[in-house]
Formats: sequence, structure tokens, C-alpha cells
Amino acid sequence: MPGGRVCGACGCAEIEVDAARGDAVCTGCGSVLEDNIIVSEVQFVENSGGGSSAVGQFVSLDGAGKTPTLGGGFHANLGKESRAKTLQNGKRQIHHLGNQLQLNQHCLDTAFNFFKMAVSKHLTRGRKRTHVIAACLYLVCRTEGTPHMLLDLSDLLQVNVYVLGKTFLVLARELCINAPAIDPCLYIPRFAHMLEFGDKNHEVSMTALRLLQRMKRDWMHTGRRPSGLCGAALLVAARMHDFRRTVKEVIRVVKVCESTLRKRLTEFQDTPTSQLTIDEFMKIDLEEECDPPSFTAGQKKLKIQQLEKALSKKLEDFEGEISSYQDEIESELENSRPKAKGVFANFTKDDSIEDNASSIFGEEEAEDEELEAAANHLNKDFYDELNEKDRGKRNEDGECRNGSETLVRPPALESLLGPLPTAASLGITESIKECISTKDQEPGENTGDGELDLSGIDDNEIDRYILNEAEAQIKAELWMKENADYLKEQKEKEARIAKEKELGIYKEHKPKKSAKKREPIQASTAGEAIEKMLEQKKISSKINYNVLRDLNSKGSNTPKKEDDSTDDSTNTKKLSRRKSIASRNIANPVNSVGKRLRPLISTQFAKKAATEEVTFPNTQAEASDVEKPAAVLVESGPVAYNPDEEVEEEEVEEDEDHCMSALQLMGGN
Amino acid sequence: MDADSDVALDILITNVVCVFRTRCHLNLRKIALEGANVIYKRDVGKVLMKLRKPRITATIWSSGKVICTGATSEEEAKFGARRLARSLQKLGFQVILMKKDLHDSSNANFKVVNVLAVCNMPFEIRLPEFTKNNRPHASYEPELHPAVCYRIKSLRATLQIFSTGSITVTGPNVKAVASAVEQIYPFVFESRK
Repeated sequence: MPGGRVCGACGCAEIEVDAARGDAVCTGCGSVLEDNIIVSEVQFVENSGGGSSAVGQFVSLDGAGKTPTLGGGFHANLGKESRAKTLQNGKRQIHHLGNQLQLNQHCLDTAFNFFKMAVSKHLTRGRKRTHVIAACLYLVCRTEGTPHMLLDLSDLLQVNVYVLGKTFLVLARELCINAPAIDPCLYIPRFAHMLEFGDKNHEVSMTALRLLQRMKRDWMHTGRRPSGLCGAALLVAARMHDFRRTVKEVIRVVKVCESTLRKRLTEFQDTPTSQLTIDEFMKIDLEEECDPPSFTAGQKKLKIQQLEKALSKKLEDFEGEISSYQDEIESELENSRPKAKGVFANFTKDDSIEDNASSIFGEEEAEDEELEAAANHLNKDFYDELNEKDRGKRNEDGECRNGSETLVRPPALESLLGPLPTAASLGITESIKECISTKDQEPGENTGDGELDLSGIDDNEIDRYILNEAEAQIKAELWMKENADYLKEQKEKEARIAKEKELGIYKEHKPKKSAKKREPIQASTAGEAIEKMLEQKKISSKINYNVLRDLNSKGSNTPKKEDDSTDDSTNTKKLSRRKSIASRNIANPVNSVGKRLRPLISTQFAKKAATEEVTFPNTQAEASDVEKPAAVLVESGPVAYNPDEEVEEEEVEEDEDHCMSALQLMGGN
Repeated sequence: MDADSDVALDILITNVVCVFRTRCHLNLRKIALEGANVIYKRDVGKVLMKLRKPRITATIWSSGKVICTGATSEEEAKFGARRLARSLQKLGFQVILMKKDLHDSSNANFKVVNVLAVCNMPFEIRLPEFTKNNRPHASYEPELHPAVCYRIKSLRATLQIFSTGSITVTGPNVKAVASAVEQIYPFVFESRK
């Protein structure tokens, strides 16, 4: 509203604004353009001592806080309040945690800044606020380089470190903050202090630092927890200076496991530096660097494997000679020993032959061995027999390696599949044997066939996967037994629900549904659509929807109003403005309506008439205030509105007196 | 792809995860009762079926969605999925098997979701240096995990780089995994020991 420039009535540009009274008056025609502007004068009050002080309150930078907002309860303001509350709460928690960690004020402020950024990026959604705050604090610790570990924070909060770590990583990534890598040297003064070395604290720390640097050069520190390294370094440093610190004491301070500490110590032992005496260590620095311990461990494994290969190759050289003897011996043995049952005789034969030519029949052998292993697990007596036979043969061959391998393989399968119920208990021994025997006969078919759809898939085999009735029953029983706890819970729950239903207290704790899915509104005209939308949304409880409906359905009044409203676009704009002023001036109950109506007013012309109707019955409640806007309307409003007003007032009266009359009208019409 | 010949690294695929849809509702109870190699987890509402031939574990939901894990190649995964579908058919469910090309990604029935591969570099890697040089993509938290986690957004692949030089790669398919390894090789080579 151009109150400060041009007068609306006479058009002159000389407008006097009085800040003290809060008026804007046109000097040409004398019309008051603005009233009750917010006065921004500084007032002074006399003190008891005779001096004067300014009137006012200190408002905190972070938001409204305790001061009540003007007019209160606006939706726009409510949103802001909530954000301010969040930030306030966050600040409080940060300070609380930070004080426990002995962080200085600067750090806490920085942490609060991080928190503000996180909130604005919606990172607090879906996460516990304590986690986010801990992550902010830890981020500050990292950037400032304070000797605080994530473990400390998790100790304070009693939260899993990895959970905190995850939140921390997300935060660092989203805020694009690169936390510098942790240097274990940072922790040394802290731990040294905790270990109480007294006067020699500084010396021990320096020694430990040197040790750490040595460890870094020797590649012990990549991928390791810095606290573990610190612990090892401090332990050695303490011993070097004749302090007796046991492993347990160090562990309590450093928060790693005993085995970790020992491992670090042994790794350090392996480095050449450990061979130096104390004095030498302080003076000399060895030039060479070592490989990281895990690398050396890996190398060892590789070496062992290579040795084994070489060994096997050598043995193969001799096999040619031995094989002939082997055949003879085998035949003799078979004749002398009792025969195994059909299935496993096949196995034993196959095994001994294929051992030597493993590469060719690699797949089949693997299969057979797997099956063998599975079968062995289920029928342990057979397995023992087999084992004996194998051992007998292998000893003769001189390949003890294979024997150990077969022993190793079956248990591995067990661990893979978990503890299987034994065949005997399931009663499916027979079917498994069958399964194995059929598989044995047709191993070649199934491998390599994957191109065609069904031809590669053996139906018979799949049939084995399906149990018959008796087996199914047994399995069902077994499952019931295993899952007895869960079933019990379910029954209890049902019983509880039944009881509650009887008592009538039953509350269905359904998982929260997301916003209701509404059907899309299908209407022929804009007016209809708006009506339907209003019906569905039920924006305000103050609007008498029946009346609204009635208004559009009634033929006489609405077209006039609609015409009037559409004719003078400027008028309607003025009206809307006035209405907004009016609604601003009036106290709470109206405001919710006014605010909601504002968007309606601005966008929908057709509904304007109806909404105008609505504000008037409500504003009538506040009689005095309404007079002013009404008066304003009458005075400087467009002429066209006068007849409307009268009509509206009539209607308003009717509405006020009998709400039901509108319904009756609807019913009547 | 062409640079592979220079590098000659063997990338070993250890796990392929794929999703498979039977377009019909499955009765888990029936499968649990009649299948010989199934585990019924009623509390979460799924059935685990383990196949021996391609060593695969399949998680089956009643909606008809099936997730197959444990295969060592994409073909094997597809083979296993088809086997599984066949066995479900035998149990009496109307499973629709589609005969489409493996690489046709528009096949909504079957899709490879995740491929896990392991690769070994012949040298060790300095992790703190590597992290500094590759700031936004790499993240290293020694307190939490001994490896550097490097994400390639364009390929949607994640690599875990250990100081010993072994690298674990996960990606949406085998090609992505291979190209991820190629991409990372020069960076890792810079920060080698």
C-alpha cells in the first residue's frame, strides 16, 4: 500500500508520518492513511538513582525463545518456533556433552555451527539427535586436533561405536568437511598423563613418540586403531624408563583388547629396531623400512602354498613308480577286507583313481567329494569305515597330505551349511542315498548346460528336493519344535488382543500410515473443483461448509457477487487487502481463518464471494473491530459494494441467528 | 577395457546377487513343508532354499520375489535362478519362466543386482596419502575399519582398499566392477609404497 508516497483520496504526495503517534496523514485532504504503525522510538525510564535507562529487552540471537511472538499462533511463525526450539535443544545438549569432554567454548560454538548446518540439510531426520550431536562434537575434535576418540563419546552415550561412526561419516560427507586423519601421536600426552608417570612424564612421552614414528615407518600403523599403537608404544617406553606398568593398566587407559596390544608388541618385535638397545634407539634411526605385518603374514601363506605345490610335484614324479605297486596292493586289500555297501565302494574306487588325475575330472571330483562329505555327515559310521580305508591307502602312497585334506574338507562343509539335522532324525536317509546314487551316475549332464531353458535342469533331481508326505510331517514337527518360542509369542499376542477386545480397550497399533491417498477430484467447473477440494480438505472448523455449499447452489445471490467480483478486479484486490488488514488487526480465532483464506482469496475468484461471506459472520463476533473495517469499506470502498454489503449483512444476520436456517434453506431449496 | 591387457590383474568374482520374480503368489508354508533343503523363517516371513549345484542360497518371499546369492558368475546366477524356478514349478506354483537374453536388462523377471569381486595389487598402498589425494571420494576411519572406502558415483561402485594391496569391489554388474578396478589402478599406483 503506497501510504508513504501518494494519498489514495486526493492524489497528493505530501504525507506526514508521525513516528510517536504512529500515524500517516495526508496533508492535502487530511485523510489518515496509516494507523497504528509499529513505533520504533526509544523510550527512557527514570531509575531510582535518578539516571535514565532505555526501555527494552535483550533478545537472543538464536530465535524467539521465551518471548511471545506478536499475534502468536501463526502457522508461519509456528514453523520458525519449532526450528528455534530444535536449535536451542541442540545447543543445550552440545554444551552438556562438551563439558563432560572438557572442550573449550570455541569448540562448542563450532560444534553448534555444524549442528545448525546439519539441521538445515535435514540430516537430523531419521536419526537420534544424540547421535547427530555426538557426530558434530567429534567432527570438531578432529578438525581441532584434540585428543578425543570416538570411543570416548560412545562411552559417554553408551552407544555402539560403529553406529556413531556411521553417523559421523554421513555428516562429514554431507557437510563436505574433510576431517584430517588421526595421528596417534596426538593421543600420547593424554594417555601418558593418565598412566601417571610423575616427573618423568615428558621423557616417557618423547620416547613413546619416537617409537610411534618408528612404527609408522615400519608400516605398522596403516589400518590400525591409533589407540592400540599408542598403548604398545607407551608400554615399551614405560619399561625403558623403569616404570612398571602392566598390560592391564595400559589397557584400561587405552581401551583396546589385551590380545591387540600383544599383537602389536610382537609385530614390533619382528622389526629390526627391536634389536637395538635403549641408548642406541634414542640415537640411531635405522634407514630401512619394513613391510606391513599383514603383508608379511600373507607372504608367509603364499610361501607355504608354494612349498606344498613343489612337494606335490616331486611326489608326482615318483607316482609313476608307485602306481604299479599301488594297484597290486589295492587289489589284495579289497579281497581281504569286508566289502562296503554299494554306494561307497564306488566312492572309494573313484577317489583313489582321481587323486592322481585331479585336474581332468576336477568338477566331478569336487561334486563327489561334496556329496561324500554331506553323506558322511549324515551317516557317520560309513564315514569312519571310509576314512580307515582311505588312510590305509594313502599311507601306502606316502601322500599324507591328501589324507589331511579329506579330513579337512567334510568339516568345512558342515560349517558352511550349519548344523544339519541328522538324516536319521529326519527319516530321510533313504531318499538321500537315492539322491546321491542318481547324482553319481549322471554328473556329466548337468554341468555346462545353462543355455537352454529347461533341458539342462534335471527334473528327477529337482523331484528329490520335494519331500513326500511322511517326510513333510516329520519336518513340520521339527520346525515346530525349533520355533516354539516364536509361536508361543504369537499365541500370547492373540490371546492378549482377544482379551482387550472383550474389555473394549482394544487399540489397534497399526504401523503409521503415510498421508492418506485421496482420489483425484473430478469436476466440470473450477467452482465445483474448489468445492470438492474444500470438502475433502476440511481446512477450517470455523467455516460452515453447509453454507458454502448452499451459496453456490443458490441461484440469486452468487451470480451477482461473482459478477461484481469479476468486473472490478482492482476492487477485489482492494477488498482482499482490506480483509487481510482487518484480519491482522483482529485477535486469534479469526486469524486462522484469515490466513487460510488468504491463499484462497488470491487464487480463486469464484470462491471470493463465499469467503467474503464467511469472514463477515466471524468478524461479527468482534463487534467493535469489525466496525472499523466495515466502516473503512463503506467510506472509501467502491460504490458497487454497497448493495452487496447490505445483502451480505442480511445474510450474515441470518447466519448468526440460526445456523440451522442455512441448512433449512438448503433443504428448502 | 583395453587397458586390462597391460595390467593383467586377476579379478576374482566371489559373489553375485540377483533378484528374480515369479509372477505369482507363493505359499511359503507349502514350500517349507515340501522342500528338502529349506529353512522357514516365519518371524520375518521368508524361506531360504539352498541349492547345491550352483552353490546358491535363495531367499523367497510370499509375494513371489526371490533373491539369489552365492553364485560366482552372472551365468551361474541365471542358471541357479532358473533351477529354482523349475523346482518351484514342480511344487505346484505357476512360475513364469522367460527365455530372454542374459544381457537384456529390460527383462524384469531377472536382474543381477550386486557383484562382489576381489583383486590383489602387487604392491602395498599408503592409505593416509591415498586419502589425501582423493579427498571427496575416499574416506578413511582407522578407528572404525582398516580399509579406505572409495566410491565411484558414475559406476555406482564401492571399493575397499587395504594397505596390503588387496581391493574388494562391489558394483551393479561385472563390467562396472572391471572398469572400477581399472579406474582406481592409477590412483593406487601413485600412493604405492
